[in-house]
Parts: sequence; structure tokens; C-alpha cells
Amino acid sequence: MHDIAPQAVNFIDLNATSVIFLFLVGFIGGLVSGFIGSGGAFVLTPGMMSLGVPAAVAVASNMCHKFPKALVGALKRYKYGQVDLKLGLVMAASAGVGVQVGIKIQEAILARWGQAGSNLYVSVSFVIILLIVGGYVFYDAVKTSRSGGDEKVSSLAERLQKIHLPPMMHFKTANLTISFWFTVPIGFATGMLAATIAVGGFIGVPGMIYVLGASSLVGSATELVIAFIMGFAGTVKWAINGMVDIRLTLLILAGSLLGVQLGAIGTTYVKEHMIKVVMSLIMLIVALSRGLAIPQYLKELDLIGVNPATLKVLGVISFLTMCLALGVGAVIILGSMWRAKRKEAASAAQYALEETYGKV
Amino acid sequence: MGQDASRPRPQPHRGHPRPVQPPAPEGTPASGPGSQAPAELAEPHRTRENRKILLVGREAHFTAAAVDYALNLADRLGYDLIVLNVGPEGNPGALMQSPYRRWLQEKFKRQALTGAALIARKAQAKGLRLEHLVRFGDLGQAVERLNQEKRRIEFVINASEVNEPEMAGGVNLPVFTIKGDQGEKIMAQLTGKKGLAIKTLAYGAASAVLYAAVFLNRDTVMNYFTRGSWFAALPIATVFVFSFFHGTFAHNLWETLGIQAPKKVVQPQPAARRPVRRQRPRPRLRLNV
Repeated sequence: MHDIAPQAVNFIDLNATSVIFLFLVGFIGGLVSGFIGSGGAFVLTPGMMSLGVPAAVAVASNMCHKFPKALVGALKRYKYGQVDLKLGLVMAASAGVGVQVGIKIQEAILARWGQAGSNLYVSVSFVIILLIVGGYVFYDAVKTSRSGGDEKVSSLAERLQKIHLPPMMHFKTANLTISFWFTVPIGFATGMLAATIAVGGFIGVPGMIYVLGASSLVGSATELVIAFIMGFAGTVKWAINGMVDIRLTLLILAGSLLGVQLGAIGTTYVKEHMIKVVMSLIMLIVALSRGLAIPQYLKELDLIGVNPATLKVLGVISFLTMCLALGVGAVIILGSMWRAKRKEAASAAQYALEETYGKV
Repeated sequence: MGQDASRPRPQPHRGHPRPVQPPAPEGTPASGPGSQAPAELAEPHRTRENRKILLVGREAHFTAAAVDYALNLADRLGYDLIVLNVGPEGNPGALMQSPYRRWLQEKFKRQALTGAALIARKAQAKGLRLEHLVRFGDLGQAVERLNQEKRRIEFVINASEVNEPEMAGGVNLPVFTIKGDQGEKIMAQLTGKKGLAIKTLAYGAASAVLYAAVFLNRDTVMNYFTRGSWFAALPIATVFVFSFFHGTFAHNLWETLGIQAPKKVVQPQPAARRPVRRQRPRPRLRLNV
């Protein structure tokens, strides 16, 4: 991202609608994030931009909210015993490298093909990666739920774990031993994707699950650690350039701190494969949303000819589809929590009563 | 106990009074002729109702000790048992019951009914007749009203030690209050829930103050926070501070609303269970004169 002189930056005026909008989107983004380990960012940044916030400020403010939210979520899920701190730190190291490389690639494309080219690159990456990974995760989630809901370590992960390539590392919470070198490509890809589309977890979490062999719970929880570290590092860079609009950040935080805790609690209520279901559905819907935006960039590069009115419609649908992705995720999470809680309350009440009255 | 050798085994329907009154533990409750309506004498053709014990409490659930005591006593005496849960009263001064109060009362009723179902099963196992009622309001008034409604309530077993003073006035029956560790239990419950609510409000207030501070001074804030270089520490430090206060508020808020992880998740290693000493409740008689 090239630096923009602070004087040229225009910080928007806030009104009641934008305040409520930021709070709500922050809440839902936090909810999804607490549940699947990532998410929210890809709606927040375009959302802020639709309020008139310049792109750089949007990215910076979003990042500034991301790392404290990830911290709060990680702390809560750590208490539930789901976070593998060592795995998170190890992957954050390679993720950091990946972020730098991703930024360099972005800058190169920006220089060569301009803003439209950069947007096209970003969108195409979105669509390809999300379709492939999201599709696979969805297929796996359906398979798991059909076979009774017990997660099994993938065969790829089992094979990789057997390969002895020092240094071998043991991760206690994730309950796996694997060569350090296999964590590198996952972390690296996470960082690169984060630099490109702002959500690294879409590669990080499935990578931890299918390549390293962690469970959905541990993968999504550990991702929050990586998100915290990357977010913090990124924010420092942006803040030094004076790009952070603290008002936006705080408004989003107001909602997302509520949401992320709720999402974290949700993981303790539902069957593990629900995490895969929510994540993959969101990924697929977001892929669709980005796909709808691609014609715009193709036209800007004069690669195709499209009616401007059509483009406008596509743009609106694209944005709405993105909101739909988050909405669907939120509804599924809250719905499963609600159902699980009612079942638990009924059986707990019964149990408590029998405790109170003694066995009849 | 049981000096009446010809005492028949418990039967589902016992309409006849006992010829001899076996002594109850710790003092004989005065059979209350005063509580019997004179109308009874005027209707000799009606089968005499059985005598009753009233078990009353302020909570939706009774402890096992209280229930077992009442059931065993009713069994030995051959009385019926009335179980009464008295819930919190709605605001008497208000014109309309607030929906929240109504919701609380409904919840109390539901819980009491569920509990009573289990008591009923136990009573049936012993062959005792059981009636369950839910009332709201003052404890003493509820008992006395019931006393006048129903006939032949011999005495009252009060399962809520803390509410003993409430029974002091207006109840024309002997009251046995079960003393034990109930007091602490009830107190502990109150402080727990109350403490959490207070914490939530405190952190919420702190969070609100912080937000007000930033947004009322937004121009100054934006001026300093976007200067770059070392001033970058300002927004970063700010989000940490906000995250602490607002995050803790959010955590407490969900807990107060009852949304939290199931206990088994938060404590993966179950703590060693200390053996619970079952204290035999020792009812002490307090006569109202």
C-alpha cells in the first residue's frame, strides 16, 4: 500500500446512521470472528468505504479494531482451553513474512496496472481461493455431520505428521506433533491472503485443520492469536502514518467486543463441525459477491465492454451479497446457540431438580 | 413413634381422622380448633377432610431435606401435605404489572411446578395426598389466607429460614422453621447474582464515560491521533484501554444474561468433590401467642 500524505486524507463526519451501521456490522463481524476465528474484515472495509471513508483509512481503522477484538476473543477461548498458543506464535512468524511479500506484490501490481488492476487481482484471488477452499470445507462439513459429527484428522495431516523433518514441534493443545517446516507454508499463505483480501483466516484455519491436523475448535481459536499479532503489527505501521480514524475504530469495537465474546461462547455450545459449516458458507457467498464485482474491474481495464447501468446494479448486488454472507453466518451461529442452550437448560434443570430432591 | 399398633398402612385415600394422636417431634403441635370453620359442624353429612401439613417456602424449589422431612412427617402422622411456593410480589403501587415482573412470576410458577412434580412422585410413592399451590406476595399473608381457605391445616413447616420474621405476624398456626445451612445458601445466591449485576453496571458506566470522553472531544482527539510517528502510540494505547473496560463489560453482560459456556467446558479438570455432609434439619417450634 503506497503511503498517502496525511494532509490529503479526509476524515468523514459521523451521523447517527453511520454510528449505528458501524456498531451493528462490528457486532456481527465480531460474532462471526469469535466463532470461526476470522471474518468481518471483508465487510467492514468495504462498508466503511461505502460511508465515504477513503480506502487507506478504512483499512487502517479496521486493522486497529481487529487486533484488540482478536485479543479479547483469544483470551476468552483460551479460558475454554481451545487456543494453542505455541502453534499461533509459530504460524504468526511465517505469517509476518507472508504479509510483507503480499504487500510487495500488491504494490507491484498497483504500479503496473493501476488501481483497477489491483482491484481485479484482489477480486480474482478472492474468488478462486474462496471457491476452492470454501467448497472443500463445506463438503467436509457435510461428510462429518452425516457420519455422526465426530471430527477425524484428515489423511493428509496424518501423513505429514509422520514425516520426520527436524525441527519437530509438539503442540500440546492441538495435540499434534509435526515438523516446523509444514507450518511455514500455511502461515505464509495466511499472511499473504491477509495482505491481499484482509482475511488470512480463510486459509489459516482450513490449513491448520486439513494440513496440520488440528481440530476445528483449536484451529479457529488459534487463528485469533495469529490475527492479533498480524493486526497489531499492521496497525503500528498504519498508525505511524496517521491513517487510523479512532472514532470508526471505537464504534466498531463497541459492537465487535460484544459479538466476539458471544461467538466464542457459541463454540462451546455447538457441535464442532458447525464451525466448518459457517465458515464455508460465508466463504462461498463472499466468493459470489466478489465475482459479481469483477466485471467492473474488467471494464475499467478495457478488457470487456459492459453497460454502466448493469455495472451499477452488479455493484449493489455484490455489496448486499457480502452483507448476506455475514448475516447468514450470524443467523446460523445464533440459531445453533439458541437451540443448544434450550436443550441444555432443559436437561440441566432436570438434573438440578433431581439433585435437589434426591432420587425419587 | 408408632405406638398405635393398629394403625393401618398408608392408603391413597384417608378420609377418617386418627383415633389417637401420635406425638410429633419436639412438642405437640396444638391441633387448631380455631382454624376449623364452624361451618364444619353445620355440615355433618360431609366426610371429614384429612388433616394437613403445610410446607411453605419463598423459593421456587425446596431442598431435599425439607421435602423429605415434610413427607416423612406427613406419612407418620397420616396427614395430607400441601406444598406452597410463595413468589415475589409485583409492585403493589404500580397501576400495571410491568412485563418484567410478570415474566419473573411466570418463571417462578414454572419452576415451582416442575419441582412440585418431583415432590408429587415422592408423595405418591409413599401413598400420600399432595396438593401444590403457588402464590405471590407476603409470606405470612399467603399462609394465613390459605389457612382460612383450606380446612384442617394443623401446622406449617417453613422451609425459608431467612423469611421467618415474615411469618411472625398474622399466622394463626404453629410454625416449624427448618434451621440449617439454608441460610447461607440463600444469601450466597443473592450476592452472587447481585455482585455480577453491579460489576456489569460499573464497567458499562466506565465504558460509557470513555466513549463520551473521546466523542465529545473528537476534534482534539483526531488532531493528535493522526499526527503519525510517535503519536501512533495514542490510538494503540486507547484501543487497549477501551478493550479492557468495554470487553469486561461485554463479558459481564453476557454472564448476567445467563449466556455463558457450560460449566463442564470452563473447568476441564473437575475439582475434587468434597463430601457433602448432609445435615439433618432440626426444626424448632415457635408458637405464636
